[in-house]
Amino acid sequence: MEIILVALKDSLALTVKLLCIILPLSISYEFLKHRQSAIEKKHFAFLGISGKGFVPLVTGIIIGLTYGAGVIIYSIRTSNTSKKEAFLILLFLSICHAIIEDTLIFVVIGANGLVLIGFRFALAMILTYLIYRSRLFNAQFDCFPGKDGRIEQ
Amino acid sequence: MNPLYPTLKRGFLNGISITYKMVKVIVPCYIAIELIKHFGLIEVISTFFKPCMGIFGLPGESALGLIAGYFINLYAAIAVIAPLQLSSKDMTTIALMLGIAHSLPIETGVTRQTGVNAWLMLTARVVFSLFAGIVINLIWKLFL
Repeated sequence: MEIILVALKDSLALTVKLLCIILPLSISYEFLKHRQSAIEKKHFAFLGISGKGFVPLVTGIIIGLTYGAGVIIYSIRTSNTSKKEAFLILLFLSICHAIIEDTLIFVVIGANGLVLIGFRFALAMILTYLIYRSRLFNAQFDCFPGKDGRIEQ
Repeated sequence: MNPLYPTLKRGFLNGISITYKMVKVIVPCYIAIELIKHFGLIEVISTFFKPCMGIFGLPGESALGLIAGYFINLYAAIAVIAPLQLSSKDMTTIALMLGIAHSLPIETGVTRQTGVNAWLMLTARVVFSLFAGIVINLIWKLFL
């Protein structure tokens, strides 16, 4: 019985620590959504992701899939993003999403945050680039890939 | 009224509702793990998973954290890992693997709605997660 009470106390203490992280984050997400149009449109062209795909990409990296799902689905559907590009965006996001929240909640229990962020970002870049450039991937979406493996529009 | 106020309020309420959902997962998981530890089951589990967790340089009992993270969500995983008292290196490895693939049942649903092949993405995430675990283990070994 005693052990349950101790566990209850410890788990609530952990929850309070997590609350201290989640509350400021959820407030800043709302501000971010508010000013979404202000996000500068840069190109992730070398990964095969255009300016149109930049908003869902950044939303996912910062906010995460579950929380940012609405924004991501909406912007992929409305901006006429090609299937190929949508796949690349989701591939990148599958490795590197909710980078602030995920990292912080693990830092609370003792992980190294810098290693986490650096490693996930690097891995996402490398894999997305490799798959964007791979023949198999391009062949799936277009029967006549260009000389260097790019799709000719 | 200050126009920032509604945004602030929405963010605050969201945070509270996330925390409420979180407590419902964290408290039972945490107690369950403490009980498992108390009755000495953790050694059994640890020896059972030792061979496969060794690939990632993790102790056997951390398999529980990975399973909780993959199938339930990150908060469940944290509740499971926190009482195990792992080293910072082990914690970082698990965090990396779980960061790439977690709450798979829910997030696969989200992915499907974007029109991308959800099964392919699910497989990709699990494979990347395991791959990242192996790579970071090698990096730790080489440089530390």
